[in-house]
Amino acid sequence: MDFLIHHMLRTSTRVFPEKEALVFGDQRFTYQGVTDHVALVASKLCRAGLEPGDRVGIYLEHSADLVFSLFGISQAGGVFVPINPLLFPRQAFHIINDCRMKALITTHARLSSLSECLKEEHSLKFLIVVDQGKKSSVDLPMYDAEESCPKPSLEETFDGRIENDLAAILYTSGSTGRSKGVLISHAQLMSGTSIVSTYLDISPSDRILSILPFSFDAGLNQLMCAFQMGSTLIMMTFVFAKEILDALEKEEVTGLAGVPTLWSVLTQPRAKLSKRTKLSLRYITNTGGPMPQPVLQSLREGLPQTKIFLMYGLTEAFRSTFLPPEELDRRPTSIGKAIPNTEILVVNDHGQPCKPGEVGELVHRGPTVSLGYWGQPELSDQVLKPHPFLPHEIGSHEKVCYSGDLVKTDEEGYIYFVGRKDTMIKSSGFRISPTEVEEILFQNGTVQAAAVIGVPDPIIGQSVKAFVVPKEGQRFDGEELRGFCSKYLPSYMIPKVIEVLEEMPKTPNGKIDYQQLRQSTEK
Amino acid sequence: MDDEHDIKFRVKQFLVKRFPQVDGRGIADEEPLLETGILDSLGVLDLVGFLEQEFVCEIDDEELLPENFESIDRIADFVARKCPNTPGPIVEP
Repeated sequence: MDFLIHHMLRTSTRVFPEKEALVFGDQRFTYQGVTDHVALVASKLCRAGLEPGDRVGIYLEHSADLVFSLFGISQAGGVFVPINPLLFPRQAFHIINDCRMKALITTHARLSSLSECLKEEHSLKFLIVVDQGKKSSVDLPMYDAEESCPKPSLEETFDGRIENDLAAILYTSGSTGRSKGVLISHAQLMSGTSIVSTYLDISPSDRILSILPFSFDAGLNQLMCAFQMGSTLIMMTFVFAKEILDALEKEEVTGLAGVPTLWSVLTQPRAKLSKRTKLSLRYITNTGGPMPQPVLQSLREGLPQTKIFLMYGLTEAFRSTFLPPEELDRRPTSIGKAIPNTEILVVNDHGQPCKPGEVGELVHRGPTVSLGYWGQPELSDQVLKPHPFLPHEIGSHEKVCYSGDLVKTDEEGYIYFVGRKDTMIKSSGFRISPTEVEEILFQNGTVQAAAVIGVPDPIIGQSVKAFVVPKEGQRFDGEELRGFCSKYLPSYMIPKVIEVLEEMPKTPNGKIDYQQLRQSTEK
Repeated sequence: MDDEHDIKFRVKQFLVKRFPQVDGRGIADEEPLLETGILDSLGVLDLVGFLEQEFVCEIDDEELLPENFESIDRIADFVARKCPNTPGPIVEP
């Protein structure tokens, strides 16, 4: 029985030692090969002084090293913290400090970009660097990931943890403040893996293409499913549709997960999806936002043999619902029903179950509900609460997840996404906190008031729009301010439009009237 | 202004407007746009749409390769090769 995530790798390596486990560009690794690399990372971490439960960050591009690091940290008894490679040094540094990270696995180039931040106080005790690039001058013990050291067998390395222990912290944004770390135990990750492997019917013959970052629960889940079932994971980064379509053919990919923007890119006429007759795609899954209906139609025409699963999930509960492919014709806009071994409730403002058609908050109950946010017990209590309908004698020990997503159901119980309860923005699968963008606008020094909202976008779900009022005597145009934002924010957070106002609309009690701003863009 | 400079100027004008990072971060003409994530998969589509319209040419999917879009310089080279007789901007009489 596998209880911890690296147990899955151990089992698959025993069963399929010579089977291809991982592909990245020209690099190909068997399960035994992956296990050897993972053992090397684990042993380095242990020798460098990692203690059980220590947090280890991984700030790397999508690559095989990312997989070795992730399982290596787990095997060494640590907690892995994948940092989205798109994040800027300052945002990565926030994550490092927030979870009191002991070690970081990264490249010399990324370390150089972090060097200014690392002059400030931080928790890091050592670094593991995976490349041979130009040495960065950071005053911390630095270990070379490739340098050989005695390889302990899997059984020899630390295995004193249990499934309730923390496996990972995934950083994500809410409606306010900086990103926060969602705590995920081994048991939760393992459950999420078994549940998704079950309904996607993943088997050892599957070849899964991974383009989503592992800092995103859906991307991480692909890796876990592949290694649990002894399948092959093909990792790649891409810009052009052709790169993906070529990889699908060349690697005989059977499963692909993406966010709506990917499907828009693949179905644009130029990509000539329907000309690709040699595809082996058994299934695709969409997550991170609703798939635009014209895109869904093009996908169904371009991929007539492929099952399309529309999924929904949030990091705090890992994965929640999916629409079975056979329901696509009847309800193409639904996010489906609960994933196996999971209960989804729709609860109204009075705490009562909603009737069909009535809008309420999606509440998730099941084995994938996270342990809350790192270091934020109050915020955790707002999201994780006792089951609303179980007798209190048994209901209080089990936490359910209040998603903040407003949904409704039809008569047959299929769920439809309606909107957010709060002001959080969701764009291209990313969660964006409006206050984090506003904070950067204020840093410009010329801004007297700033308000950021999400406006509907047919392709990316929502795009970021900012309203700003200049300080007295200051003049600027939106373009300049966007340029300023780009120095501090990754692309997906930069406002697409900045509207300059003379005055910010206010509510009767003097707060910015976001409702009015939202309505002004809808006109 | 010769043709090549003109092409680069117009490409750059578009990039600066669509991708504020180009100006904000002071991206030089030879600096990478793809690996830094400035030009992403959706951004490339917008750029290609612009190039086709602005320089009246048809860009084939086979030409959508990293080497043609790596930097402002590479994009300008690609357009110059692709449309050797590129017309200037259409000026209303």
